[in-house]
Amino acid sequence: MLATLNKYRAAFSVGLQSNLVYRVNFAIRGFFSFFHLIVVFILWGSAYAGSPVIGGYSFAQTFTYFVALIVVQFMIGAFNEDYQISEEIRNGLINQFLLKPVNYFAYRFSIYLSARLVTGLLILLPLVVLFPLLKAHLTVPLDAWRLGIGLPALAMSACIQFGIAYCFGLMSFWFLEIQGLVILSMAIESVLGGQIFPLDLLPAWLFRISQYLPYYYQMYFPVAIFTGRINDLTAALTGLGIQACWVVIILGVGQVLWRRGLRLHTAVGG
Amino acid sequence: MNFAHYARIWLTSARYSIVRTLMFRGDFFIWALVELFWMAVNLLMVSVIYQHTSTVAGWTKYEMMLLVGTSLLIQRYLMGFFWSSIFEMGRNIRSGNFDFFLAQPGNVMFMATTRKLDPDGLMNSFVALGVVVYSARQLGLHPSVADIALYALMVACGVIIHYSMLVLCIAPAFWITSAQGIEGSYFTLSEFSRLPRAAFKGLAQVAFVWILPVVVVSNAPASTLLHGFDLRVVGWLLGITLVWFTVAVIFFHRGLRRYTSASS
Repeated sequence: MLATLNKYRAAFSVGLQSNLVYRVNFAIRGFFSFFHLIVVFILWGSAYAGSPVIGGYSFAQTFTYFVALIVVQFMIGAFNEDYQISEEIRNGLINQFLLKPVNYFAYRFSIYLSARLVTGLLILLPLVVLFPLLKAHLTVPLDAWRLGIGLPALAMSACIQFGIAYCFGLMSFWFLEIQGLVILSMAIESVLGGQIFPLDLLPAWLFRISQYLPYYYQMYFPVAIFTGRINDLTAALTGLGIQACWVVIILGVGQVLWRRGLRLHTAVGG
Repeated sequence: MNFAHYARIWLTSARYSIVRTLMFRGDFFIWALVELFWMAVNLLMVSVIYQHTSTVAGWTKYEMMLLVGTSLLIQRYLMGFFWSSIFEMGRNIRSGNFDFFLAQPGNVMFMATTRKLDPDGLMNSFVALGVVVYSARQLGLHPSVADIALYALMVACGVIIHYSMLVLCIAPAFWITSAQGIEGSYFTLSEFSRLPRAAFKGLAQVAFVWILPVVVVSNAPASTLLHGFDLRVVGWLLGITLVWFTVAVIFFHRGLRRYTSASS
C-alpha cells in the first residue's frame, strides 16, 4: 500500500517540478483571465443598470460568481490533460506505462493534481493584487454548511473535470485527431457549465434539465454553493448525490475506454 | 510585383487550401460545427441577458444581436482568410521554418499571412451574415444599396484592423522566442468587440474605445446600419484602419530584421 502511494507521490513531485517551470506563463494567463472580468463588469454592469435585480440576484452577487469561477477554474479545471494523454497515445509514449506496474489513470491524476496545485496557488497572486479594486463589488455568504458541502463538491468537480478530459484523451485510440472534438466539447461545457452566464438565468425548464447533466457539476455547482446562488441545504445535498453518481459514471466510462482502447492499440518500435 | 502577380499567388494558395480541405472532409465538418457552436453560444448569451432586462447601455435585444452578428462576421473573415497563417507564423519563427517564406516570390508579410485559407470560417461567415440580416429585419431596417456598400466597406476595415492587431500580437515572437501564449492576448481583446460603445465609461472608454480599436471596429458598421451615415464615425474608422495597418507593417518589418533563423 505504502509502496503504491510512494509511486504516485513520485509522479506528483515530477509533475510539480515540471509545472513550476511554467510558473510565469501560468501567472500571465491568470492576469489575462482577470482581463476577462473587465468584459464581465462592463456587460453585466450595463445590464444591471436597466434592472437592479436579475434572476433574483444583485450585481455584486453575479460579479462574485464570475470571480469565483475564474479562481475555481485555476484550482480544478482540466487545462490540456486531454491533449497530453492524446499525444502520449499517438507518439507511443504510453507504451512505457504498459510495461511497468503503474496505473495510467492514477499516474495522470497525480500529475493533474500537482499541476492544479501550482495554478491554484498562482491564481491567488492576481486575486490579491486586484483585491482592493474588486472588494467593493464582492459579496460572499459565510454560512458554515457552504464549506461542509462546497469542499466535497469541489473535490468531486475536480474528478469530473479530469475524468472527462481523460475520456477525451483516450479517444485517440480510435481517432487520429481529437482537437476538434475537444473544442466542441469545450463549447458545450462552457455553456452548460455556467461559464458564459450563471445557469440559473436559463429558462426554468432548461435549468432543470441542466441539473441532471455532468457539466452542471463541473464548475457551476461548487461555485453556486460558495457564492450564494444555491441557498437551500436540501437542494445542495441532492446536488451532491447526483454529482457523486456522475463521478462514478465518468470514471467507469474511462475504465471501459481504457480497456477497449488497449485492445486496439499497436505498439511499434522500441 | 503588381496586383495581378499577388492575385495569382493568392489564388494558388486558395486552391491549395481548398484541395487540402477536400482531403480532410471530416475535419472540415467538425471545425465548421465548432465555429457554428461558438457563434450560437454568443447569441445565446445575448438572449439570456435580454430575458431579464430590456436594454443594455441603451441597446435593445435585436440591436445587440446586430452588433454581435457584425463582430462575428468580422471575426469569421479574419479566421477564414488569415488566422491559420498568422497563428502558424509565431510557431514558424520559433522553429526556424519561417525561412521558407523568405525564399518565396513576394513580400514576406503577404506570403506569410495569406498562405492558408480556412473554408470552414468562410462558410460560417454566411451564418454570421444571416444573424445580421435577421436582426435588421426584426428591427424593420431598410438599408439602401449605398448603406449596404458602406457597411461592407466598414466590415472590410474591421478585418484589416483585426489582422493588424493579430500580427502585432504574434510579431513579438521575433524578439522573444519563448513568449508562447502571447496569441491568447488577441482573444481577450476581441471579447470587447461584442460590447456596445456606450457601455464604456471613464478609463475603460479611454483604453478600449480611444486607444485600442476593438470596440469601434464592430460598433461603427453596426451603428451605420442602425442610424445611417455619420461622417465622424466613418472617417474615424478609415483613419484608424490606416494607422493600425501601417503600425503592423512597420512592426513586422522591424521584427523581420531581427529574424536569425534557427539551426537544426
